[in-house]
Amino acid sequence: MTQATAVAEAPANDLALTPELADAVVGTWAEDTETAYFIAPDRILDVLAHLRDAQGYDLLSNLTCIDYQGYGGKLRADVSERLDVVYHLYSTRRGGGSVALHVRVPADDTVPSATSVYPGANLQEREVYDLFGVKFDGHPNLRRILLWDGFNGHPMRKDWHEAYYEEDAKPFRSRHPKGEYAFHEDKLPWAKNTTYPAGWDPDSWQEAVAYVPVSQAPQHENQPHLDTESIVVNLGPHHPSTHGVFRMLTRVEGETILALEPEMGYLHRNHEKIGERNTWLMNMPFTDRLDYLNSMSNNWAYALAVEKLAGIEVPERAEYLRVIMAEFTRIVNHTWSIGFILNDLGALQTPALYAIEEREMILDMFEAVSGARMMCNYMRFGGVVRDLPEGWREQAAYLANDRLPRALDELDRLLTENEILKARGRGVGYLAVEDLIALSVTGPMIRAGGLAYDIRKAEPYGIYDRFDFDIPTLPNSDIYDRYYIRLLEAMESVRILQQALRDMPEGETLGGRGGYTLRAPEGEVYGRLEAPKGELGFYLASDGKTQPWRYHVRSPSYINLNALGPMSVGYKVADAIVILGAIDIVLGEVDR
Amino acid sequence: MDWLQLLVFPAIRALILIFVLLTGFAYLTWYERKLLARFQVRYGPNRAGKFGLLQPAADAVKAFFKEEIIPNHVDKPVYLLAPALALVPALIIWAVIPIAKGTPAIADVNIGFLWILAVAGIESYGIILAGWSSNNNYSLLGALRSSAQMVSYELPLGLFLVSILMLAGSFSLVDLVEGSRQWWEWIWLWLAFPFFFICILAETNRSPFDLPETENELVAGFQTEYGGMKFALFFIAEYVNMISTSAIMATLFFGGWKGPFAEQYIWLGPVYLLIKVLILLFLFIWVRASIGRPRYDQLMKFCWQFMLPLGLVYVSISAVLAVFLK
Repeated sequence: MTQATAVAEAPANDLALTPELADAVVGTWAEDTETAYFIAPDRILDVLAHLRDAQGYDLLSNLTCIDYQGYGGKLRADVSERLDVVYHLYSTRRGGGSVALHVRVPADDTVPSATSVYPGANLQEREVYDLFGVKFDGHPNLRRILLWDGFNGHPMRKDWHEAYYEEDAKPFRSRHPKGEYAFHEDKLPWAKNTTYPAGWDPDSWQEAVAYVPVSQAPQHENQPHLDTESIVVNLGPHHPSTHGVFRMLTRVEGETILALEPEMGYLHRNHEKIGERNTWLMNMPFTDRLDYLNSMSNNWAYALAVEKLAGIEVPERAEYLRVIMAEFTRIVNHTWSIGFILNDLGALQTPALYAIEEREMILDMFEAVSGARMMCNYMRFGGVVRDLPEGWREQAAYLANDRLPRALDELDRLLTENEILKARGRGVGYLAVEDLIALSVTGPMIRAGGLAYDIRKAEPYGIYDRFDFDIPTLPNSDIYDRYYIRLLEAMESVRILQQALRDMPEGETLGGRGGYTLRAPEGEVYGRLEAPKGELGFYLASDGKTQPWRYHVRSPSYINLNALGPMSVGYKVADAIVILGAIDIVLGEVDR
Repeated sequence: MDWLQLLVFPAIRALILIFVLLTGFAYLTWYERKLLARFQVRYGPNRAGKFGLLQPAADAVKAFFKEEIIPNHVDKPVYLLAPALALVPALIIWAVIPIAKGTPAIADVNIGFLWILAVAGIESYGIILAGWSSNNNYSLLGALRSSAQMVSYELPLGLFLVSILMLAGSFSLVDLVEGSRQWWEWIWLWLAFPFFFICILAETNRSPFDLPETENELVAGFQTEYGGMKFALFFIAEYVNMISTSAIMATLFFGGWKGPFAEQYIWLGPVYLLIKVLILLFLFIWVRASIGRPRYDQLMKFCWQFMLPLGLVYVSISAVLAVFLK
């Protein structure tokens, strides 16, 4: 069941480009943190294609943008254009670190779309277009994605201000002028706070219905004499099976899906803009709200990135505690996800409730250490916020050694050999693992396609190199495997938990003060870890102030949705629901 | 007093029957919620009254006070007619079921079997018309699924009924229950029961064959545009259908009202029938709590490639048995 796992290598320090491409690099900058290569905008596709084909960087993990207007730090590599589009590339075959490419362009300029090299750039480029206004030349479907068409401006730009704008940095002075509490919006007259883009009329506006290209021929083409008509079925945003306010715009013929396009943004709150105004530490509880099932992993990913940027050491016991919490979280997420895949298959509630029973036990443990069941806010820069309460370790050991293995075996016995699960899952939602990686999909989905890519092994963080565990893989890349891989991963998590609980030393849990007055040094960093849903990354840039200059979340739920359309086309409506369920999204993380 | 015999007594009986069935429906929802909860490690309703026994009353009051909403885009007469069309067959199918010795619920007609087949046939109209008149894509898909599914499953259902009919040698259900069967007949009947039950699940749109209203895919299928009492009527129709089909199965396969001393004490007949119906209803709920839903095309394939040939084989063998052994 397991393959030889990808082994970590030293990160590439040199791009090693061919002579023809050498002049594409207009500057390098390695003074602050990671090496950044600045690429000329018109050459970026050549460089990306070269890195993908010749050097094996097959995963475009992160694509985002920074607005440098008003940046207080140094001018990096003498490139002064305002917007900086950032690409982080990884190799899933080799493992190891990333290559960071930067393309600096003036505002409202265009950059060639990377979708021709990495189809997975689709959603991320749309997000950058939506929030920064960078246009991507050659993008198949460049529309706003998180905001609606009637939104005026591009909110992540530094000069964009919302209707009741107060200040750039929290805590806002106006909230407590004389020790009293006052809302700024109370002082303003009602209404007049909505603006629309120039020449845009809300009354005459109609939503443009756009579809992804149909990649498979509709089945009725064998019988051209039949006069058939396809209909549009709008699954969501208010729909029992979209796991929140998410919309799948489908064109169906009979019950067969001809085209499907995900529409999101109903929960969008511009997490990243708020994050730029918060102090470094204020973002920690805010990460809980991303993937609200897995707040511990979110905490850790953010702490990991900040620690990398600021060079903070983590004490031994805290590292163990983080692993324990993260693996408990993975079990929570995977049992939850299994339950809801089954729910989507029509086994209404029973498997889900059996799975959630174990989740309750683990949430009790979280509550004991952090005071909250879901919004844990447990980690700090340089450790965890407090040590374990009395008796916690014994209770956790009971869960890890006794109860959870039993519960997972029970789920295995109940579900794995189930005829209906097999009939519904086998061969449905197939996409070859190469296509999944090209679509930037990470996490259990690619392991269910046979590729043992797990950041815990490929680029170990924390103390994962000390534990003995396997990366389970399955060969078929269908819904059934996506269900089963989660069960296997939860079983591996139990193994890690047993070792961590056995080996955890005594000692302090927080080095330093936990970052209450942190001023991260100037620079940028991309920190990532293997969250239960895939690669969760935080891309942070600092100019040495108390707030991050840029705070970007590379959320696995959002980017894995790249694959939803291609996976669903040609299957039935009922399958599309389960395919979505097997991607395992949380809308808090998709819409941010 | 012919008109008394012909009209008044049956009418009184019918009213009592409707009252009993609707009360039965109300407590069937309670029964199902309680059982489902136990299957799913929960408690189920336990706030309204002792053991939540007043929950159905609370639900009924809620349904009555819901606002009547008729969307603008529907085909109004058909839209309003559909819920009634769904409920009526579920009730009238009871007319021929014997509830005690020599006593059918309403009338001992000599075409009881045909009555069941005919009424089962018109059951799907309510659903199809609801889906069609709602003018909604979800409803339309639900109605299309429903029509195809019910038409398909009526074939094997009919084949099994014909087999039972051949062995019984009478169209009347009263005669069927009171006539005697040999031991091999019982065994042969019970062999068919699991398959008959599967057909009934499909016929009543119960999970795992609840494809016309699949909550996960089609929101509420054919009843998406219905609310208030109109929705409640569909709901009642589904549950009364469960009761009716359970009674039919009890009559066909398990001797209906028969049981120890039921011949001497006539009031024991309905009690035995009730117990058998409750056990069969438990089966419905058990299946719902534990089995996932097949996809629509798999459902149709199962019917045409497995159930129908099986039904044909069963009919052929039954015919041979009826001719040579009876």
